[in-house]
Amino acid sequence: MATPVERPTAVRSAARTTTGPGPAAQRRRAPRLRLARRNQGWLYAAPTALFVTVFFLIPVLLVAQMSLSDWGLFAGNRGFNAPDNYTDAVGQRLFWPAVWFTVKYTIITTIILIGVALGLALMVQEVALWNSFLRTAFLVPSALGLASASLLFYALYAPEGGPFARLLSGLGIGDGTVSFLGSPNAALWSTVAVIVWRFAGFYMLLLLVGLQGISSDVYEAARVDGANRWQIFVNVTLPLLKPSLALCTILCITGSLLAFDQFYILTRGGPDNSTITIVLLVYNIAFGGRNDLGVAAALSLIVLLALIVINVVQFTALRGRED
Amino acid sequence: MKRWTVARGLRRAVGAVAAASLLIGLAACGGGADQQPGGEATVAANPEGIDDGTKLTLWTRAPLEAQAKALVQAYNASHKNQVELTITPNDDYVTRVGAAAGSGSLPDLFAADIVYVPNWTEQGLFADITSRIDTLPNVAEINQGHLAAGTYEGKKYVLPFVLDLSVIFYNKELYTEAGLDPDKGPTTLAEFKEHALAIQKLNKKGVYGTYFGGNCGGCGIFTWFPMIWASGEQPMNEDGTASNLNGAAAKQVYAMWRELNEAGAVAPASKEETGATWVGDFQQGKIGVMPYPATLLATADKSVEVGVTPIPGVNGGQSTFVGGDGIGISKDSKVSDQAWNFLSWLMSDAAQVEVLAKSNSQVSRNDLAENKYATDPRVKIINQVAAAPDSHTPVARNCQQAFNAPGSPWVTLFRNAIFGDGSSIDADNQAITEVLAQ
Amino acid sequence: MSTMSRPLLATSSRRVLTGALALLFLFPLVWAAVASVAPQPGTAQVDGWGLGNYARLAGYQAGLTQYLINSVLISGMTVIFTLVVSLLGGYAFALFNFPGKNLLFLATLAILMVPYATLLIPLYVLLNSIGLQNSLVGLALVLTMFQLPFATFMMRISFEAVPRELAESAYVDGCGTFTALLRILVPAVKPGLITVGLFAFLAAWNDFIAPLILITDSDKVPLPLAVANIRGQVMGVVDYGATEAGVVILALPCVVLFLILQRHYVRGFMSGALKG
Repeated sequence: MATPVERPTAVRSAARTTTGPGPAAQRRRAPRLRLARRNQGWLYAAPTALFVTVFFLIPVLLVAQMSLSDWGLFAGNRGFNAPDNYTDAVGQRLFWPAVWFTVKYTIITTIILIGVALGLALMVQEVALWNSFLRTAFLVPSALGLASASLLFYALYAPEGGPFARLLSGLGIGDGTVSFLGSPNAALWSTVAVIVWRFAGFYMLLLLVGLQGISSDVYEAARVDGANRWQIFVNVTLPLLKPSLALCTILCITGSLLAFDQFYILTRGGPDNSTITIVLLVYNIAFGGRNDLGVAAALSLIVLLALIVINVVQFTALRGRED
Repeated sequence: MKRWTVARGLRRAVGAVAAASLLIGLAACGGGADQQPGGEATVAANPEGIDDGTKLTLWTRAPLEAQAKALVQAYNASHKNQVELTITPNDDYVTRVGAAAGSGSLPDLFAADIVYVPNWTEQGLFADITSRIDTLPNVAEINQGHLAAGTYEGKKYVLPFVLDLSVIFYNKELYTEAGLDPDKGPTTLAEFKEHALAIQKLNKKGVYGTYFGGNCGGCGIFTWFPMIWASGEQPMNEDGTASNLNGAAAKQVYAMWRELNEAGAVAPASKEETGATWVGDFQQGKIGVMPYPATLLATADKSVEVGVTPIPGVNGGQSTFVGGDGIGISKDSKVSDQAWNFLSWLMSDAAQVEVLAKSNSQVSRNDLAENKYATDPRVKIINQVAAAPDSHTPVARNCQQAFNAPGSPWVTLFRNAIFGDGSSIDADNQAITEVLAQ
Repeated sequence: MSTMSRPLLATSSRRVLTGALALLFLFPLVWAAVASVAPQPGTAQVDGWGLGNYARLAGYQAGLTQYLINSVLISGMTVIFTLVVSLLGGYAFALFNFPGKNLLFLATLAILMVPYATLLIPLYVLLNSIGLQNSLVGLALVLTMFQLPFATFMMRISFEAVPRELAESAYVDGCGTFTALLRILVPAVKPGLITVGLFAFLAAWNDFIAPLILITDSDKVPLPLAVANIRGQVMGVVDYGATEAGVVILALPCVVLFLILQRHYVRGFMSGALKG
């Protein structure tokens, strides 16, 4: 493949030698060509602009407006009522329980998921046929959608006929009425299990990319210095893996804070509202009896603001440490 | 120059589309429910609606699946109109109807838990069918509790679809085994407790005295309000805006269940039962006696010898919760005359007797309580308690939020009263009142 | 490169341990496939092995075929819209200069910042007002929008990776920008297109919350929603068999696509290549 430097000269010299408009004419055409290119650029970008405007920018403006209005599901827009929606949202009976649960769930899931993914990545990083098989096995769950994975585990967690229940009663644990989704703690950990199963492979992949970036020379140098396996891991691998870990952490935290599908399908926020997440609360306020789109919009904007703040904090914290 | 104009024009066009969409968005929101344009002339000319082969859509919820399917099948077999039935899991019903109503895509006909009917009627989800109902030949005999629930500002919107009454079911075999009289169910709360404890004493593996939906607000009001009514107390005030669930009789009901639970006579699965499977264990012969939906008599009969008795109060009496679903024509239906054809058929003898009564379900018309299929003495008991003076359909605008919604204040109250020490009943009752009064 | 000069465990015990772990990961899917045809009380397949659960799923309300068609239509439309918009958009961002270019790109990426839930409620109201409520097209448009950040980004770097001379030479030869795009550039960015298409398909096929809110007609729902509904048809009984059958049908195309194409995009992800 010709280097970038050579071709343009060849083209230009070719153009000069062809029978065509002279250099002056070419200079005159050039601005028009650039202009034409510029406007064509707009034409090509137009569909994107249309989508972004109609389906993103306008809804963002609309949700801001809704959060400041008395907007019922059936009754529609009934005029401004700021800041009632926000005080109602925060004063909701289930607001703080949902926030607390979402945060708790996020912390647990992130720690376990990244830990498991790191372990898997370290396990399969060498080139080997066996490792290829392992990698594929760990990645297969990520082909499923989150809803499909939740439905699958809903069946797995069946209280009497399901395989886990039968396994436990076969082993003699529990008194025959094991309930994976029936008590607050069980429901939380059962759901975490689903997420770990579904996402471990994906995060493993991201960490593998990071691991590839660590040159073997660094390991050699450390080993020559007499470091043992654990010291190498803590002092060499982890620091060099920071960017990947940071990316994984940010993705995991954001995803967990917005959890909906798995809780809707597995627990519907029960038992006793112990597994209601913020997004589930938004959905219930909008369509589940209270039917108040204004309060739901206010709550979802609060979520957006919280996310922005959390992400900014994460970025600065992790980038700071990187340097 | 031309190209510049094109580019600028394009940008302007995009801007215009954006602005237009925003304006449409603002303007379009504000319309509530439009009333059905069923003119008086059409109503008068077609008191039974029009049967012309239209496809009608009907939504109902899972608990009434058997009756709904039977009715739809019978209608489709004998009419040109064809009804397409959609069954939604009970927990999802409210949100599905909500999302559909908000986008103007409700089905032609839909059923609603009778306790939600006042709220949805007031929100304008149902079409006004006052004049149509008044043309029905048996309008005076139709269950008044359901009609009243669907009446708003003097206009009628809802007819009874499937009546679901709560009664006491007991397992006759287990009764005999425990030395109890299999032909006599409990007639007071004290007897209920006695019988449950007796079954529990059998110490059969997997068998328990009783069961209840420990996490199910709807099950709670369905089965315990009658106990309170039969004791002469009212669980709410007349217009459903204040709760009286810390009354003397109510406290005695909770105490009884607490004692049963502490004695181990309540199946452990009750504690987390959200209502999805609260009727399952009795059908498997694992429960001695429990309050139960009468609609499942035929189903339970298949596997268990069922005895039936009305729900008693503290010192006797009888009452039932006249629940079930009401049905109406939705505000979004464009074929209200054809939809009415289904409803008027529903109120006729053909549907009430030949479909509902025949399968041992309740009829919605009082004049048909004694019908040719009501030979089963248990069905007679059920029909008769439906008309008892202490039987009611509670009407409360915020019933769903206060009682049925998962994690409602009602659920908090009875869970604290039964699984806790019962000290917070008054405070929890206040929480219910606050939600009811919204 | 390995951090270990000596393996922690002997190869055989390592194999056993890691193999067990792999089985743990594969177990749920394999179990679902097996259980969907195995006998189970409370389902449509009580005695013996067979396809009873699938038959129930097929006959459930609008029928399995209808739900499959819905899912295919939604996913297909999303893929097509995403490919077209991101192809043209990526082309514009990579090879043209026009006013507002950076602003538009940033706005597109900003979609990632705003959570699904925040946008779905106003989108519900917006679709109602432009008449696209309860429609597969409306849903596909919304799903396309959510794909745009990744897709446009992907196509932009794909186009930027194309050697400039390829495009320039095309223009000099007298091609218009559009013909240049079609004839020369599209083949050059095909891997990017495949990645974008695959992600769009998987996202649309598996999406749950958007159809839950935006589609209410029971015969227009896509498959995940239909399977979630079939669980609670009869009060008191959860049909696990039908759920398992539904999961198998949902997962099958995804797993197949994943296995076939994993060479392409996993390799792409790990373009540093596994160093031996």
